[in-house]
Amino acid sequence: MRRGVLAGAVLLTALLLQAGVVNPLDLPVGHPDLIVLCVVALALVAGPTWGTVIGFTAGLAADVVPPADHTLGRLAMAYALVGYAAGLLEDVEERSVVTTVAVVAVGSAAVVLVFAGVGALLGDARVDASSVADSLIATILYDVILAPFVVPLVSGAARRAEPVTTY
Amino acid sequence: MRDSGRARVVLAVLLLTAFTLITLDYRSGSGGPLRRVANAVFGPIENAVGDVARPIGSFFSSLGHLSSYKSDNAKLRKEVATLRSQLRLTDAERERLADEEKLLHLDQIAQFRIVAAHVSAVGGSLDFESTATIDVGSRDGITANMTVIDGDGLVGKTLSVGPTTTTVLLANDVQFSAGARLESSQLIGHVDGGGRGAMRFTLLDSQGTIKVGTRLVTFGDIGQRPFVPEVPIGRVTRVVPTPGALTRTAEVTPYVGFDSLDVVGVVVSAPRTIKRDSLLPPSPSPSPPPSPTPTPPTTPPATPAGSTSPSPSTSRTGH
Repeated sequence: MRRGVLAGAVLLTALLLQAGVVNPLDLPVGHPDLIVLCVVALALVAGPTWGTVIGFTAGLAADVVPPADHTLGRLAMAYALVGYAAGLLEDVEERSVVTTVAVVAVGSAAVVLVFAGVGALLGDARVDASSVADSLIATILYDVILAPFVVPLVSGAARRAEPVTTY
Repeated sequence: MRDSGRARVVLAVLLLTAFTLITLDYRSGSGGPLRRVANAVFGPIENAVGDVARPIGSFFSSLGHLSSYKSDNAKLRKEVATLRSQLRLTDAERERLADEEKLLHLDQIAQFRIVAAHVSAVGGSLDFESTATIDVGSRDGITANMTVIDGDGLVGKTLSVGPTTTTVLLANDVQFSAGARLESSQLIGHVDGGGRGAMRFTLLDSQGTIKVGTRLVTFGDIGQRPFVPEVPIGRVTRVVPTPGALTRTAEVTPYVGFDSLDVVGVVVSAPRTIKRDSLLPPSPSPSPPPSPTPTPPTTPPATPAGSTSPSPSTSRTGH
């Protein structure tokens, strides 16, 4: 329960920071994706079931939060898959920083590819080779840079919110 | 991985749900009820976040100039006296005031009725979209498909509208398209946002010639929706060779800097007539000057907007 509230608060903060603070920054190539960082961090603690639910919810919110203008459900699908996959690594003992960063890198790439892939199927004109390449490079690069700071912070908070896993 | 069986069921159910949502939303087109609810709920929070984040953003962007500030420290000392009088204004506020003055200037020449707004959030969705949220909405008389401008020229058009926020499709988005006219001529075509690439102008006349440096203005749509006429768009920087094609294509550098949008205006109504080319900035400058001055009235006075030569692009609405 407390973990649910925490996850909600973390995701809401990430969404608002993404649209209001991160996206307006004039960075080269693109921008980091805070939501995938938070989904991975929460799913690594919560396991595959809750990881999927957290990813789906975060994606659905990102699909509708104001400046978004794409077919509803595309991000929900992408983040749900990443939440599930990251959740499968819940039981891995002694996770090193390198593993975490690798999970974030793969997760970021997966989100971009699923989002772009579904977009391409729907005939979204925004999806072409150069936009996919730029989005992949920027999202992976910036997320890998941020991962060592954001993931332990969010995972630690989630672990403290519910010290004993009871489901 | 003790409950990965249950996890798989949950995953399957949620993926199906996402698939259903995609199908439903794709068939109904954008701006469904869920998005309207989200506009109403998240909009005010985004406005609040934007008010806090704006000065922080301009602080970071001013960091880039830090070295040059340091080098002419002595000069700065001389300016302390002047600065003291302006001490009450923060950097962000002064920047915004300058933006607002510019917008007002353009607004006065054209006699548009505009609603001024701040950009409170910028769309990304993994950097595929170029959209923005502004802090005015249906309560301020905004509806979908209105022209959005700033002091430099065309910014975009409004998409979905909430009570206090509006989503704007920026002119550099791939899905953006608007009717455009070459300055001091009747040659018309359409301008399309290029996403990561350059903005493109397509001239709907295989005989017409485009020169580098020519400036573009909006052509205006029927009923002035979504675009009012005569808003400056940009300058032609390269003519793309298209041998044998029925249309001619050119790359356009927009006047508006889409990376640093702050104060914008939504045109809620435009006068029936606007003097041709009257809103364009002076020609030879490579970059848009701070205050656009009207070009001398060499053209015949006040052509009725929208009654120019009927052509395929008049019906173009830029969806």
